[in-house]
Amino acid sequence: MKILVCIKQVGSEGEVNRFDAHALEEALDLKDRFETQLSESVTVDVVTVGPVEAARIIKRAFGMGADTGYHIVAEDPEYVSPFVTATRLASAAKKRPYDLILTGIMSTDMMTGQTGPMLAKIMGLPCATAVIKTNLPTNDNLIEVERELENGFRDCLKIRMPAVLTIQAGINTPRYPRLSKMLAAGQKEIKTFKETDIFPEPIEEREIYIGLALPEKTRSGRVLEGSLPDKAEQLLALLKEKDLI
Amino acid sequence: MKQILVIAEIFAGQIRPITWELVTAARKIKNSPGLKQLSPTIQIIVPADNPALLSEKIAKQTGIDVIGLQIPELKNYTSEIYIYCLEQLIKKIDPSHVLAAHTSQGQDFAPGLALGLNAVAISGVNGIRSDENGLIYSRPVFNNTRNQMLRPASNRPVTLTLMPGTFKPDERKDGEPGRVDIRKIPFAPAVCGKEHIQHCRTVKKIFEDQTLEEAKVIIAAGRGIKEKEELKSILKFAQCFPTAAVGASRPLVDMNWLGYQHQIGITGATVAPKLYIACGISGSSQHLAGIKDAEFVVSINKNPQAPIFRHSDVCIIADIIEFIGTFLKKQEI
Ligand SMILES: Cc1cc2nc3c(=O)[nH]c(=O)nc-3n(C[C@H](O)[C@H](O)[C@H](O)COP(=O)(O)OP(=O)(O)OC[C@H]3O[C@@H](n4cnc5c(N)ncnc54)[C@H](O)[C@@H]3O)c2cc1C
Repeated sequence: MKILVCIKQVGSEGEVNRFDAHALEEALDLKDRFETQLSESVTVDVVTVGPVEAARIIKRAFGMGADTGYHIVAEDPEYVSPFVTATRLASAAKKRPYDLILTGIMSTDMMTGQTGPMLAKIMGLPCATAVIKTNLPTNDNLIEVERELENGFRDCLKIRMPAVLTIQAGINTPRYPRLSKMLAAGQKEIKTFKETDIFPEPIEEREIYIGLALPEKTRSGRVLEGSLPDKAEQLLALLKEKDLI
Repeated sequence: MKQILVIAEIFAGQIRPITWELVTAARKIKNSPGLKQLSPTIQIIVPADNPALLSEKIAKQTGIDVIGLQIPELKNYTSEIYIYCLEQLIKKIDPSHVLAAHTSQGQDFAPGLALGLNAVAISGVNGIRSDENGLIYSRPVFNNTRNQMLRPASNRPVTLTLMPGTFKPDERKDGEPGRVDIRKIPFAPAVCGKEHIQHCRTVKKIFEDQTLEEAKVIIAAGRGIKEKEELKSILKFAQCFPTAAVGASRPLVDMNWLGYQHQIGITGATVAPKLYIACGISGSSQHLAGIKDAEFVVSINKNPQAPIFRHSDVCIIADIIEFIGTFLKKQEI
């Protein structure tokens, strides 16, 4: 079985998106379960679209146990349409016949939650979002998963592979990269592609980015001033006044 | 004449209330300066195996015309059925806008549907306004610390998923119900046994107790709590109140520090206490969705920029452990 995990670098410290770490862990965990129970080998590849520095998160993925890393190098402006990202990822996903493609449910920076389902649509694959549990695929290429709904509900689905799953936090605890694997990873080659080589014509952005704003306030937001004891005293007085304590 | 389409959210044979919020948003788009003179019409699509009753209910409640999308194979929601059938129906209508809910369901099918329609796709919309160039949509980014503003780059149809709680349902005055038109589109792959997604069952995680829903005071912990050990502080804080329940943001439950019955938010409990104290919680939209009806919200966070402060009555900028320690000392006096 072949699994591809899409990972993204986020934040000022360039860490891997929290939900993608869960996706990678789930792929590696499926591999462990698969290999022990069915003694069939599984490969876990990772792909990222991002600036040159994003190679870091691929190295980290090697340290966790990923086999091959693809890096589509793109120096992007502040906004990239999820459609563009999905199109770029599809170019990597088509390289090998993957049975499963995993992504995080969303990225913590752009928060669209659209990349995974769009990738599925581009590739003509079925997709389940917010996956919170996976079972081992059966011989007939079906994988049973649970996806999370609101208020504690879950849908149990059987999906025919190849398929795309977007992974929700809470499904697992991502492992730490192992030093031995990190060292070995130093020798591993990242397959790097320039986005302009794959797409000589730029992919059409579907939205125009205007800018950022502060979210609207929904409550008055009185800030308690003073030293720590002052603040504690003010809160205590407030709560007493409201007869809450 | 362009159409604004609303996709009603149906779960377990019931209309989800977010549907009424989508209708409000559709009216806002319809009455926006750029679109008004084109006098677009709104239609609500109700996908179901047997949509007649649901459609009538929605037509009566809103006064808007309804397309009951009859999909005989739709016993339970799957993204595959929705995308397949909605795409066929909507392509023929060629609308200007398609509105769906930013819920587990809408997030599951809307991006694929948007690509099928060759549309612009904007998710998690929490505001709509217009300027001289047309409509501008805002959506949360960077862990909800900012809103990002976008507009469509072309005049393709626009698919939006709307954040629950953004648009208030309109008060319905008595009036003419909308017309109901039933259209049948079978889900062909299932007919020949070639579907890719089978729905097996829906299960519900049982809350071990209901204390959060009824609690008058909730002390909630977030990732500002760095170790499980530090939860003791939160418990001590809670003990200052005659009866207080302990709540949590999702990551703490995901890490198994607290049971699921403590989780507050869109995938946990919705609460309405007299007092809610958020301890080291950043204020994500998914968490805030669960505390909208809290009467009084106090937040303690060491980051003055934390989004939760914009949704609090009282803001305390402090380290949570230090603050609780000081508070406990004051209270003893
Ligand atoms: C589909 C979906 C559903 C979700 N459902 C839910 C849900 O139901 N409920 C929910 O809560 N989340 C939910 N989430 C997760 C949500 O997006 C956020 O990730 C989560 O709410 C963040 O939790 P947090 O505020 O505790 O952590 P963070 O966002 O990491 O915030 C921690 C905060 O603590 C502050 N802090 C750090 N150290 C200290 C200190 N020493 N003293 C004081 N403050 C400190 C920081 O400044 C920060 O503001 C969902 C996500 C998805 C994608």
